[in-house]
Amino acid sequence: MLKTWTIAGLALASLACSAGISAAADVKLALVPGGPHPFFAPWEQAAADAKVAFGLTESQYAVPQDWQLDLQNKLIESLASQGYNAFGIFPGDATGTNETMAELEAFGAPSVAIGGCTQSPSPAKFCLATDVYRSAYLGTKALIEAMGGKGAIMHAGSRLVDPNTQLRIAAIDKAIEEAGPDVMLYQHVTDTDSQETGDAKINGVLAADAANIDGIVATGYVSSVIAARALENLGDGRIKMIGIDDDPIVLDAINKGVIQGTMAQNPYGQAYIAAYALKRMLEGCTMRADAPFDENPQNATFIDSGTLVITKANIDTYRDELKGIADDIIASFDEKYLTCN
Amino acid sequence: MSDVIEPRAGARAGAASWGDRLLRVAHAGGLLLVIVLITGGASLFVPNFLSPFNQFTLTRNLGVDIIIGFGMMVVLGLGHMNLALGAIGACAAMVVGFCLQTLGLPIPLAIAGAILAGALLGALNGVLVVRTGLDSFIITLATASLYFGLMFILTRAEAFRDLPADFSALGKGRVGPYSSFLVIAGVVAAGLVVIFNFSELGRQILATGANRTAASLSGIPVNRVIIVTHALSGAIAAIAGVMVTARLASALPSIGEEWLLPSFLAPLLGGTLLAGGFVSVIGAALGAILLSVLQNTLVLLNVSGFWIQFFLGLALLAAVGIDRWRVVQTQKRGTPGR
Repeated sequence: MLKTWTIAGLALASLACSAGISAAADVKLALVPGGPHPFFAPWEQAAADAKVAFGLTESQYAVPQDWQLDLQNKLIESLASQGYNAFGIFPGDATGTNETMAELEAFGAPSVAIGGCTQSPSPAKFCLATDVYRSAYLGTKALIEAMGGKGAIMHAGSRLVDPNTQLRIAAIDKAIEEAGPDVMLYQHVTDTDSQETGDAKINGVLAADAANIDGIVATGYVSSVIAARALENLGDGRIKMIGIDDDPIVLDAINKGVIQGTMAQNPYGQAYIAAYALKRMLEGCTMRADAPFDENPQNATFIDSGTLVITKANIDTYRDELKGIADDIIASFDEKYLTCN
Repeated sequence: MSDVIEPRAGARAGAASWGDRLLRVAHAGGLLLVIVLITGGASLFVPNFLSPFNQFTLTRNLGVDIIIGFGMMVVLGLGHMNLALGAIGACAAMVVGFCLQTLGLPIPLAIAGAILAGALLGALNGVLVVRTGLDSFIITLATASLYFGLMFILTRAEAFRDLPADFSALGKGRVGPYSSFLVIAGVVAAGLVVIFNFSELGRQILATGANRTAASLSGIPVNRVIIVTHALSGAIAAIAGVMVTARLASALPSIGEEWLLPSFLAPLLGGTLLAGGFVSVIGAALGAILLSVLQNTLVLLNVSGFWIQFFLGLALLAAVGIDRWRVVQTQKRGTPGR
């Protein structure tokens, strides 16, 4: 606990220091998700908090009407036209968004990819997101442990065309393979991250073949909610589950013992850290050429925004843990990633 | 130059058609006036409306919207619809991506291939309409799903992302502060003005749209005209698909999913009749300009995107209302209801 407060104190000191430097920087921040989705809801609070904490001129959480790259591009263009000059963007498409970011760059507006990555090489200054491979791997390991090291696992995943889904599939496959012959994959059931299709697919599989499923790992926000509800309705407690994200329904299911845990992501931290980094860049800082970025098959400037498995044991403290991770990243951000004159 | 043309087939001629002409010119003039007022007001009172960034992005989106509107307009001339416009645009985008990335074809050849593919898919719509005798609404509703489905099956929903820089540069081209997409829209518009004012095909399309039976009796190969018109619509949709691909520097399977509303709004606001027999190329372009400027102004005024969707729906209702009013006015003067 002492360590957390020390880090938080350092972060605040660093922020106060940067606030002094930033007097001249006119920062109008826009946080733009790929479309409407509950995962991004914490960005709104992060935008508001960042405006106060970092002394931004303006901050806005702007949601495209639908999951269409074209709609997202038009929204970003209109925000740039309104004078927004710092963008945190969940890429509507790993490559397509690069074009928009390049135009923003030419316009003098730096952008970062948050929540998901663009395809490198990218004009995005960096990508700040969950290490989805690691998250899915840890979640599946936790599930296998809850299953007693044997049984068949169903994966309820997000959109098949999403590169993150492919990484999650690979991670789950690896965790299952490492568990030995007693653990097997039942099926990757993808495209379950919307209410209607998710409901039909997950409940359909459970209705037809629940007896042959011993565990569920859900890697989509809505998929987790649907699967948690389905298991609660099923009511026998035999099928174990690890979900993703911290929807109240999922947390409630953990508390009731219906599911065993959920993989926490850090959307608030992603947006908050991005706001800080963008502000520093508009103050004249540049990304260090030798910054210690992680690399994944998609992106060469990756920063892990943190992941942990929420269980009954840490359900009351996980938010502090996530905040601690975000504070840690901010506290060392200048030193690790920036060159400031 | 007027882009208004009356069909020769049927009973429409004489003094009454001059009344129609006047009504239509007044309609286009009114549209122009509204555009001038909104643009003037936005220039004066909406911050950043005249900024170079906004002018460029506004005209780039406008270029695409104009062409999407043209794609629907040509089949509206027949009294038909093409609900597969977006699906054809998506297929063309994937074809140009495949030709450039997988086959490594030169850019002009890849673009020509995509437009040809669009024309073939459009022609298939026409053939199905002619052969089945079903309404184009039903046929193109079905083929929209069919084309999207086939494209997903063939590409496994994988985008083509490694397109040549020269191709992507097409999406960034500028003419002064404006996007070069406006030039493409201008070229397509000029071609359509020629087709509908000075070619036999244009007259045949409008005559078929005005009265199919009369057109057939007067020797017009109605079935062929329907197929060719749908092919033309498909080719125009493909041009829009290629433009969006260049703008995104990626051929994405999701291209075209949002085209339906603007495809109807532009021509209908511009005076093209839902029932067929009359099109206005300039009117469709003005309709697209009005919509783009209005949307852009609302966005710059921080009006929520959900309200903008509401306004677009309202605009479509208004356009259809005007269309109906004109039909009633024409009937009151004793001319056929077109």
